[in-house]
Amino acid sequence: MQHHIKEQIDRILSQGAVYVDARWYPNEETHNLTMWNGNLKDASATRESGIGVRVLYKGAWGFSASSDVNNLAGLFEKAFNNARTAAERVTFPIRLAEKDAIQASFSSPNRIDPFTIPFNQKVDFLKRMDDTLKQPGVAQRVVDLTFVRKQIIFLDSEGSEIEKNIVEVFPSIGVMGVDTEGGTQRRSFKPSRLGDTRGWETIDEALFTSEAERIVRELDQILKAEACPKESRSVILLPGIMFLQTHETIGHPLELDRILGYELAFAGGSFVTLDDFGTLRYGSEKLTARADATVSNSPGSFGFDDDGVPAQDNLLIDKGILVGAITGRQMVEEANATARKQIFQGSSGANRATSFYRVPIERMTNINIDPGTDGTLEDIIKNTEKGIVLDGDKSWSIGSNREQFHFATEIGWLVEDGEVTEVVKNATYQGETLNFYNSLTAVGDESTWEVQYVDNCGKGQPSQIMQLGHGVPVCRFDNVRIGE
Amino acid sequence: MTAQIISVLNELRQFAINNGISAEFFYHEEDSALMRFANSAISLNTNEHLVRLEITAHEGNKRASYSMITNLDAVEDMQQGVLQAAEIVKHAQPLNYTPTIPVYQATFIEESAFDPDLAHISNDEKLAYFNQAVAGLESDQIKLGGIFSSGKNVLAAMNTESEHALAFVSSDAQITMVLSHQALKWEVIAEQSAQTKADLDPKKIHRELSFLLHHYQNDTAQQIPLGQYDIVFGPAATAEMVSTMNWIGFNGGMMKRGYSFLSEDHLGKQVLGQSFTLVDDPTRVETFPFSVDMMGIERKPFVLFDQGEFKSFTWYQDDADEFGAEPTGHTVMHKSLVVSGGETPINTLEELVNAPRDKDILYIPYIHYMNFVNPSKGLITGSSRFGALLLKADGSVVVPYNVRLTQSLLDIFSEKIAWISDGQVAYNTSMSYGARNPTALIVPNFVCVKDLEISHANSSY
Repeated sequence: MQHHIKEQIDRILSQGAVYVDARWYPNEETHNLTMWNGNLKDASATRESGIGVRVLYKGAWGFSASSDVNNLAGLFEKAFNNARTAAERVTFPIRLAEKDAIQASFSSPNRIDPFTIPFNQKVDFLKRMDDTLKQPGVAQRVVDLTFVRKQIIFLDSEGSEIEKNIVEVFPSIGVMGVDTEGGTQRRSFKPSRLGDTRGWETIDEALFTSEAERIVRELDQILKAEACPKESRSVILLPGIMFLQTHETIGHPLELDRILGYELAFAGGSFVTLDDFGTLRYGSEKLTARADATVSNSPGSFGFDDDGVPAQDNLLIDKGILVGAITGRQMVEEANATARKQIFQGSSGANRATSFYRVPIERMTNINIDPGTDGTLEDIIKNTEKGIVLDGDKSWSIGSNREQFHFATEIGWLVEDGEVTEVVKNATYQGETLNFYNSLTAVGDESTWEVQYVDNCGKGQPSQIMQLGHGVPVCRFDNVRIGE
Repeated sequence: MTAQIISVLNELRQFAINNGISAEFFYHEEDSALMRFANSAISLNTNEHLVRLEITAHEGNKRASYSMITNLDAVEDMQQGVLQAAEIVKHAQPLNYTPTIPVYQATFIEESAFDPDLAHISNDEKLAYFNQAVAGLESDQIKLGGIFSSGKNVLAAMNTESEHALAFVSSDAQITMVLSHQALKWEVIAEQSAQTKADLDPKKIHRELSFLLHHYQNDTAQQIPLGQYDIVFGPAATAEMVSTMNWIGFNGGMMKRGYSFLSEDHLGKQVLGQSFTLVDDPTRVETFPFSVDMMGIERKPFVLFDQGEFKSFTWYQDDADEFGAEPTGHTVMHKSLVVSGGETPINTLEELVNAPRDKDILYIPYIHYMNFVNPSKGLITGSSRFGALLLKADGSVVVPYNVRLTQSLLDIFSEKIAWISDGQVAYNTSMSYGARNPTALIVPNFVCVKDLEISHANSSY
């Protein structure tokens, strides 16, 4: 197959294309299991295979994809024709940043391939978790397991040939109940990414059992709690919500295609401009953020991106100052040319597609916040006069340039004079991105740092869903509006 | 084409029966194309042809499915999928209810929403549309973005209970055109949903963009004070909010799971304002309708809210099976929601801007990144985007920096509704996460609601 793909790449090159690549997915599989109130509502498997072809011609992209690999010539021709039309409306002729031709492979580390685990063993796990969650006050119980296994073969006209074999495991549990005012409340658990591997072995049943007991206990507290007050306080974000704050207000605004306006008609833009790199005070000196695609146990690590660029660990924000972005080969060239200076040295290896039938775009890898020096969670609480500890993502809504946001969380614990006083329900907070990060006054140490995963990040047209990670510590922000 | 699909499904059906497997087959084929614009260039020109097959195997109360991307001529591959589904179901756990497998009484093929000319519109025609729609509007600072998404969609279903099949063929185009200011970072939008090629009207898009562009380039821009405003919602905003009721409103299964702001106690009661009537009307071809649902139940106009009175929940078959409800013909990929028009003859933005007013009116055409803060209270939040205007009482127009609205749907569609346009428009809400599924609602051109709270206002674009 690779031979036939190479033949087609050469053929299209000989017709005037300046670059051609193909991503062939021989096999992508998922297993999904969802148990809802003891009913196995979803027991499903999926399988996809196909090929996507990208052609660069006279400064414009054409793309075509099909599940039918028996007509490669026709598929490549379609992609080329699409590029020919696109070349009729070019404002900045696309060119690609330099990279090495790479022949390599990448396999995500796992000790036990989850696809080798018998189906009934997975169902038995769901049943045991469901039994643990089945407690008084719990109206709804959800246990979910998703497994992904995919093989991707990338070839390009620059001589790269890369094979990736990736396995992912996405487990979660959740409970819901009805509070005294008839409102539905929920508490959930997704394990942080512990250890260096990401196979079936990451499902630690003892951990799930104790966490199941915890979320049931906390749901009971929420159901009896008063509503979150509407006022300004310090907010202390646990990793279970800090990951999403980071995702939405550091990750997305620093995607270079957004900064350059490529998402303005849909997902939105960014308040960041090219002039801001090296100068913008994004946050307080306590804020250091990075895009690290080398974290071993995270879906944000994939060896090589879909431009064939190796995974990297790059600073985004250094002690509060904006220094980097999430980039691919195309955008760094355009950004440097537009800015008339070299802001970016090359691609940061973050161009990814969700499937063979989607085109690669700038996507987050692992957008992480470095641990700080403000101690443990207990230390931070002890040093907070009037605050609220928040955890669990419930809803999120962000302005179109990522300049402001509103989050609702599953639970809040009020803090008065250094002590947790009570649980509150319907906790929310909102703010403006730069003001918020500049009010960062405490960053927890290594003991508070966790890698959380995101398995449903949406972006692009046609729409794409991506999986990635965030390694984040506990963080405290002062003078934040809550309870709206 | 449809005959060939049904023939293949029948082959799979026979295969399953011969192997003692009780199974349902759901076929989805899309031939999608998308021309995307950014920074006044075609940033991507793409097409994909995908065939998906979902096989659901049943064994008593046990159910499992196997989905695959395949090809219509790969029958042996599909048969392996049938065996895979049958293997999984052996290990599944019984449900505490019996899932219904429909028994189709006749083969039903619906092609009323298919136009081959639109389905196969060429690259050159799409480019010409865009060029015409923005002729003279672009500049060094004003850049074009948007999409021309078009394609053909085929859905088909069959199962081992009968030899009959359902098939739905549709074509659609969704055109979104955005002009954005490079430095100031504002955007204005005009959109069109098309079901036939004859629907395409670039001149209308040009008029709408020109009008908004004029205001955004010439009127004062400002951060508006927080507080209560009379807000006029455009079709996109109204469609987005009404669409959410599919999830957290009248969906029976979600109600039973505690995710709805409606309960069984609300049935027959005045829940929303008297001017709000919402019907699921599959006779409206602009909504890419299903005349029968995937269970074979004939669909007729189904009243959800009649002058604010809540009339009925809708039930997917599986939820009806689980909760002991009567299915309502809503086992469909999407409903055909129609919000009734009102009596106010204001139907274009120009008419709205020029209409006499005795207080400030905030026009919000589009709600960006809406989410459910508290589903059981109907509480939503989102920001304005794409051409909001503050129409001042003195007749002047101000461009407001984006604002945030955090409000309950129970409030927005309550007696606070001041007026509703007498004209309606089909607004395309198709998303392409996963498979293509052309979807549109019919909504009034404008809905004006009194005294809604703005909880945040940006200090710049």
